Amino acid sequence: MTNSSCSPVKPPSVTLRNPPSRNVTMLDARARAGLPSLQPPHARPAHAAHDCRETTMSTTTAPVDNGVNSDALLGARDALRESPAAAQFTWRATSEWVRGTHSKQTIDRFIGLGAEQQHKKAFVLEGDHPEVFASEDHAPTPVETVLAALAGCLTAGVAAVAQNRGIQLRSVTAVVEGDHDILGILGGDPEVRNGFNDVRVTFDIDADASKEDIAALVAQSQKRSAVFDALTNPTNVTVSVA
Amino acid sequence: MTVQRTDVVIIGAGHSGLAMSRRLTERSIDHVVLERGAVAHSWRAERWPGLRLLTPNWQTRLPGGGYQGDDPDGHLAAAEVAELLAHYARQIDAPVQQQTTVEQVRADGDGAYSIQSDQGGWNARSVVIASGANSVPHLPDCAAALPSTITQVTTRDYRGPTTLPEGGVLVVGAAATGAQLADELARAGRRVVLSVGEHVRLPRDYRGRDVFWWMDRSGVLDERFDEVDDIVRARHVPSPQLVGSAERRAVDLAALRELGVELVGRLGTVRDGVALFSGGLANTVRLADLKAERLLDRFDAWAAATEAPVDAAVDAPHRLEPTQVDPSPRLMLDLQKQGITTVIWATGFRPRYDWLDVPVLDAKGRVRHEGGVVDAPGLYLLGASLLRRRRSTYIDGAAQDSLELAEHLAAHLQSSPRESALAAGPALV
Repeated sequence: MTNSSCSPVKPPSVTLRNPPSRNVTMLDARARAGLPSLQPPHARPAHAAHDCRETTMSTTTAPVDNGVNSDALLGARDALRESPAAAQFTWRATSEWVRGTHSKQTIDRFIGLGAEQQHKKAFVLEGDHPEVFASEDHAPTPVETVLAALAGCLTAGVAAVAQNRGIQLRSVTAVVEGDHDILGILGGDPEVRNGFNDVRVTFDIDADASKEDIAALVAQSQKRSAVFDALTNPTNVTVSVA
Repeated sequence: MTVQRTDVVIIGAGHSGLAMSRRLTERSIDHVVLERGAVAHSWRAERWPGLRLLTPNWQTRLPGGGYQGDDPDGHLAAAEVAELLAHYARQIDAPVQQQTTVEQVRADGDGAYSIQSDQGGWNARSVVIASGANSVPHLPDCAAALPSTITQVTTRDYRGPTTLPEGGVLVVGAAATGAQLADELARAGRRVVLSVGEHVRLPRDYRGRDVFWWMDRSGVLDERFDEVDDIVRARHVPSPQLVGSAERRAVDLAALRELGVELVGRLGTVRDGVALFSGGLANTVRLADLKAERLLDRFDAWAAATEAPVDAAVDAPHRLEPTQVDPSPRLMLDLQKQGITTVIWATGFRPRYDWLDVPVLDAKGRVRHEGGVVDAPGLYLLGASLLRRRRSTYIDGAAQDSLELAEHLAAHLQSSPRESALAAGPALV
């Protein structure tokens, strides 16, 4: 897939799920950046071309379809390596307090591929606390939303990796649990942290693959997961008042 | 200073530069090898004395030379590697100019290269960069955030357990070097915390044979750079957790844990004297186990399919024990409170190209090349990780890589003869 001579054989399709026409897609980035040609005076060895044919066969004739456009993602990877500035994204959510512990977060625009981008529509999430916290329970607790985000990220990763590895998925379910000592947030014990003490994700996957291959899928999805990284590694967070 | 004229300047007299010298001599191509120190300088001056090659002696093969001793299954120590290469340089009569540091290489307008050194200049039609992939220790940014009371040591400067201040040691990085130093320090009685990121687990022996025997015979090491799925990634895979030792001991995470080494996740950052580690250790360990299993599967498949009677000559297939780690490893380490006095950065090296004044570096400072043929006519790279094949990462790769690149280089010299040289003659300028 990193072989630029593959692209004339089978051009990847040109959209990642109907992006609005004003938006720059991953593949525009690929075209703009252009893939570098580093052909030496000697031609590439014959088996490199053979690789391309194999790749083409597996992507055109294999019935594996998890709804992931692997070609586009791999093409974007190559293109963005060449123009790393376009790989700099800024995600954004805006938030508004409603009443009590209830608030609404709107997610609409973000920056990426060197331009302002917009979701197909504005998405609204809400946060609140349950009644056992003496709240009105209008929405999930934000820590639960974090768990949901982790599941969403890892599941997307499982699908993407499975597509890339030619594994047909039939069902992917997961249970995410986070252990939390709330004495921390209540200020009840200075030695208890505010955040999770442990987070567990248990996947149940039905797919055309061996147990080992499924384990490898799940492991690889963690390795490439933004939310997994955000939860497991320290991040500088600055909170200011406008 | 004088400017000397030659066809090829090879920069660096390590195994790669010397192998290329041998190939050019075979073709009667005029060349010189410039070496900043003595032959095999980095093996003499920039490695710790306890270091041994990961590869067995029989695999230290060089064109027209290599290991000739009576311990084919042993592993050479750093000083022995230096000695072997010095002997090799004499054996092949390599035109090495020692104590000569290259300060600048630039392209002349006429398709030749101008090489400046502290010992004068050269003009050559081709330049082979064999200055090594492991020149400058690479440290994460958070090194700057360590308290000044902590001694920081890179693996280039580390010389052994007794040279460190008393106290506990945090070793950052669990590739071959980090694993070996954790092993060495724990055996010396130190408290060791090992920060483990992405790593490669390999058994020293499999089915009664050294793992390099398997990689050599089964064709793993012959996998070419243009057959690898993601070459950028493949070239940055850490070295395996192996050590060369007489007792063939393991230095994988399970072995280190048994020695009392505390395993923690990848170092995230250092805040207020506290090192913060990733909570993803279990997954990096799982990934390494899975990759090791896949490699063993590949060995077994090869052994079963090959016509040579391999299966009968080796032990029965078996699998590695899954690596056990603490399910909730330490996320924070208050260095001073925990008695950690030294941090060893085993976080890898980068090549140094600040002398290379030819526009062939990518945004990350890496030489753009296709199997060692650099993106500038007449310029070649040798001795880099997975340069042309997996074998390129090891000394053993130099023989074939230098053969192929010398062929390319000779074709280049032939296709662009130095016309002015005929008029001016090959005299000193």
